[in-house]
Amino acid sequence: MSTIQRFRSARQAAGTFALVTLVSALCALPAGAGPNEQAKRIFDRIAGVPPSASELAQMATDIQGGDPTSAANIALQAPQFYNTTLKNFAMPWTNRDQTVFAPLNDYVATFIGMVRDDADFSTALSADILYMSNASGLPAPSTTDNNHYAQAEAQGVDMKSTLTLVTQSGLYGIPTAATAGLMTTRAATSSFFINGTNRAMFRYTLMAHLCNDLPTVEDITRPPDRIRQDVSRSPGGDSRVFLNSCIGCHSGMDPMAQAFAYYDFPGTAVGDGLNTGAMVYTAGTTQAKYHINTGNFPQGFVTPDDSWTNRWRQGPNQVLGWDPTLPGSGNGAKSLGLELAHSTAFAQCQAQKVFQAVCYRAPASQADLTQVSNMTSAFKAGNYKYKPLFASAAVYCMGS
Amino acid sequence: MNAYLKWIVGIASLAALAACSGGAPTTANPVTTVASAAAYSGPPPATADVQAFMVNLWTNVKATNRCGGCHVQGGQSPQFARTDDVNLAYQAANTVVNLSQPDQSTMVQKVSGGHNCWLASPSACGDTLTVWIQNWAGSSATGSQSIKLIAPPDETVGNSKTFPTSPSGFQTTIYPIVTQYCSRCHAPTALTPQQPYFASADINEAYSNAQAKIDLADANPTNANPPVPCTVSSTGTTCLSRFVARLAIDHHNCWSDCTTDAQAMLTAIENFANPIPLTTVDPSLVISKALTMFDGTVASGQNRYTTSQIALYEFKTGTGTIAYDTSGVEPELDLNLTGNYTWDQGWGVIFAPNSKAQGTSTASAKLYNMITSSGEFTIEAWVSPANVAQTGANIVSYSGGPQLRDATLSQMAFQYAANVRSSVTSTNGAPALVTNPKNQLAQAALQHVVLTYDPVNGRKLYVNGVFTGDVDSAGGGTLANWDNTFALVVGNETSGTANQFQGELRMVAIHNRALTLPQIQQNYAAGVGQKYFMLFNVTPLTGVPQSYVMMTLSLNDNYSYLFSNPTFISLDSTQTPNGIPISGLRIGINGTEATVGQSYIPLNTTVTSANYNSSTGQLLSSVGAVIALQNGPATDQFFLSFAQIGSQTHVYTDPTYAIPAPVPGPAAPDLGVRTFERLAQTMSKVTGVPMTDTNVATVYANVLSALPPVPDLAAYSAANQTAISQLAIAYCSELVNTTNLRQSFFGAGFDPTQGGNYFTAPINTTSNRDTVINALYINLVGGTLSANLATQPPFAGVQAELDSLITALTPASYATTANRSGVVTKAACAALLGSASTMVQ
Repeated sequence: MSTIQRFRSARQAAGTFALVTLVSALCALPAGAGPNEQAKRIFDRIAGVPPSASELAQMATDIQGGDPTSAANIALQAPQFYNTTLKNFAMPWTNRDQTVFAPLNDYVATFIGMVRDDADFSTALSADILYMSNASGLPAPSTTDNNHYAQAEAQGVDMKSTLTLVTQSGLYGIPTAATAGLMTTRAATSSFFINGTNRAMFRYTLMAHLCNDLPTVEDITRPPDRIRQDVSRSPGGDSRVFLNSCIGCHSGMDPMAQAFAYYDFPGTAVGDGLNTGAMVYTAGTTQAKYHINTGNFPQGFVTPDDSWTNRWRQGPNQVLGWDPTLPGSGNGAKSLGLELAHSTAFAQCQAQKVFQAVCYRAPASQADLTQVSNMTSAFKAGNYKYKPLFASAAVYCMGS
Repeated sequence: MNAYLKWIVGIASLAALAACSGGAPTTANPVTTVASAAAYSGPPPATADVQAFMVNLWTNVKATNRCGGCHVQGGQSPQFARTDDVNLAYQAANTVVNLSQPDQSTMVQKVSGGHNCWLASPSACGDTLTVWIQNWAGSSATGSQSIKLIAPPDETVGNSKTFPTSPSGFQTTIYPIVTQYCSRCHAPTALTPQQPYFASADINEAYSNAQAKIDLADANPTNANPPVPCTVSSTGTTCLSRFVARLAIDHHNCWSDCTTDAQAMLTAIENFANPIPLTTVDPSLVISKALTMFDGTVASGQNRYTTSQIALYEFKTGTGTIAYDTSGVEPELDLNLTGNYTWDQGWGVIFAPNSKAQGTSTASAKLYNMITSSGEFTIEAWVSPANVAQTGANIVSYSGGPQLRDATLSQMAFQYAANVRSSVTSTNGAPALVTNPKNQLAQAALQHVVLTYDPVNGRKLYVNGVFTGDVDSAGGGTLANWDNTFALVVGNETSGTANQFQGELRMVAIHNRALTLPQIQQNYAAGVGQKYFMLFNVTPLTGVPQSYVMMTLSLNDNYSYLFSNPTFISLDSTQTPNGIPISGLRIGINGTEATVGQSYIPLNTTVTSANYNSSTGQLLSSVGAVIALQNGPATDQFFLSFAQIGSQTHVYTDPTYAIPAPVPGPAAPDLGVRTFERLAQTMSKVTGVPMTDTNVATVYANVLSALPPVPDLAAYSAANQTAISQLAIAYCSELVNTTNLRQSFFGAGFDPTQGGNYFTAPINTTSNRDTVINALYINLVGGTLSANLATQPPFAGVQAELDSLITALTPASYATTANRSGVVTKAACAALLGSASTMVQ
């Protein structure tokens, strides 16, 4: 055998090694998992990296002692849980491409901070809240760029130890009444208020936090009186399209997206996390983008202010579980955020997302569904703290 | 007593125009063709008004093939076309014209009714005659007009079928089909759930969602248009149920042959609907009297500026192959419709691929003659593009082929474009004036689009009464090089092979003057299409004499009606209603409340004396409502119902929806792969090489998009493995190359600078092989050599594989090659680091 032939054989051997090991691992995993294996899986699923020997030993002891939640809590202390797991968990919520390959931003950092501090996540869409890193050598957070967060990521700054709670009103100068948690972070506004008609903020928030895209909440029987003038009632000369399709989303969306009537993000769309410009908020004055293409249907709704109404409290979408203690209408993004975050769908969505992130599958059995239901209930009963969701899912999926 | 609506828009427009002028207003004569002087030898017109009559009406009707065949001296009365004395003709004409409302003239109504029309379409004759009378009346006829509201006949709401409360009928007829063929999407438990959930496992949920997609009129024997039974064919269906139309017309996810499937669905709907008895309207509803569209008062306050109009197409005919030029300016430039066009019964023509409307080049020469003499022109169109993707789509063109034109107005995706041949442009009218792409002015919606041309400014475009702001870089020029052999074509190019416009044209007008912005805005405000004032009698409900809820009704397109401006009004002007609450207004059609499009359900207002005006009533809402057409405007019968009007109330209860029980998804692997950043974090943690290391960071950035983005095993690909291998090699390389990391990992005795013979000694002899393999296993796989997790590969297997690899990479020819020991160690490290022991979680 020549040298070259031997080398090729060696490369082939190396290549097949990975596959061989993969197959053997797949075959080996499910059966006979003991506390050590369970501990490793919990750590892997939560932190994304293997545990150290000491971490593994302590977790195995906890599991052996019938306290797997304590074992999970050890994994929740790993820096990688914050820097990697939570970051990549939240990143797709913050941009139109829903890509995870985007630079760290204030939306994600605020989410990570809220999880770390066991904040009440039902305030996530309404609070005057923001997190920044206090690591040295970073540019200050700015309303006009994302450099603070992007550089924190590039430098590998430890999120767990450096994130600091501040306010959007204090740091960005947004009026307190105009702050609406994650929705008014720079990342969200630069992605969803730039160009367009501000309906994007509603849709992407719906997808990210209620786990419903518009096709799953379409209801053509709601009154269309609040659909704006820019929506043609006879697209291409065929009103059947409007009456059977467009109206289904717009009749519910437009009355709620009216909450964003005073927001805009004038700037240049460059890419995820890179858009230039800063959010503007014009209290009392509806943005011009709410009045574009008025000729499409002059008899449509003319937005006078930022009052919103949840028309989905009636009809099939009442199954989203709206909070009966809230009025179902209001003014501005803050109260809309409260309306959304107090729904059953919101809590259920957080549980579903965590279950899938940790267990690597959507609920596939009745037991899985019960687990998600239990996580949802516990999430609500436990003041919407996020870390227990991860712990609960990891314990459930640790294998047996 | 009747009330009058004063249409002050026209007055306001005229007042504004007058205010802009510095002195006595200059009025232009309407464009018309004037008969030769030799044709008349009687007494001269006695007054200016007789002169106007003579020029604008008499000249046009006196021909023997028109009114002059009978209504002449010695002929039938009234003798308004007599040729011996125009003054006597004038007196006769005054008995059959209405100068304040020309379209209401006896003469017009007679001809529109089919009385000796000289065209194939009586309505076209009527429209032309209306223009001539308007021209006679002068510009004031296009200004303010009074519309007399006339109480319609009282009709009671007709019989209809309504959905039964129980889903049992649905469950045995339609439900089996939708659950079998539609539940993969239209069920909440579907993998990609898509509302409405009419195929839900929950029968009640399915039934309530299906009702909006079933039209019981399809099985109502009183249905006249389309007649019952409706039909399904390979080209479409006459049925109104969306379930049927979706299969027959849209070919939406048919499960076998679409026609067969649509027929099966229709049969199921008939089986469901036939047993449902015809019922009178729900007696508990609070309802008005009923009306059909043509019971309404024609809203003819069309204050269009038409003084320089030389061609006009309103597409009113609704049938046939000719779009008539009703401008009243002769010769008539009628357009011949060919190809896949369809008429919009609300006035319009819809152009599909391979369709166009074209005039003859002889008749089209009217445009050449009248426009080149003025040197300026305007093309005006109410247009509804089918999409915003079509480019080079000719809306209106006066041209000779794809490369030759006098003038063209076209659509280019989100933009409108204008080509005009002049002394400063090419014979193709290039360069085109195109609207700014950022403004996205062209929309798939009804728009008023105007192109003006004058020698100073060149081309200017206006959309919905607003100047687009786009400046003609070519500027203005003369039109001396226009070609009079071209033809006017609408919706396409004359060749018919290029420049197809898809969408609807609801009006086209050509003027031989460049309209001013106020004139364009006047025409935009006048709107387009057929409109009626519908007076729904609510007298029994309010107690106010002759009280009505009046709505403006027009055809939105061929598939729906547009209701707007709901107004409470009493035709008794002595009444001043006060304190009448009105809420929850719903529009009913053919005995039932429409399911979709009810814009006035949230309405909650009160008629008060402070807000009520005896002439105009009180506007209840400013938004419009689009309601699906069922049988057509001739027979669809409308009524209004109320949650409350006055003291009458009806309580509407919204159904409650139970949260459907979730259903487990398909089984999925319990395992997954580490995603991109987790892999890097893991490799960093087990090798000790920081992620910020320049070399690994560079490789990571390069392969990032090829690393696994999701943990799903099914999504794992060869590209992922390749990227992971590269990253593993980068980490291992840095590990071996960096002294402190290397010593910490392999021990101080490891030497990466040796030749292949560094690994000569076999395993299990405390050899260099053992040093490397053992260190790799303990650090990268975890555990100890004698014990490890059941989920990790045991040492013996890994040892054997790495031993084999090292042997293969250290042939005799590399025995003394410098640094071979390091290279081989890197390879062994990468093989293990890039394996499932690292990747799989």
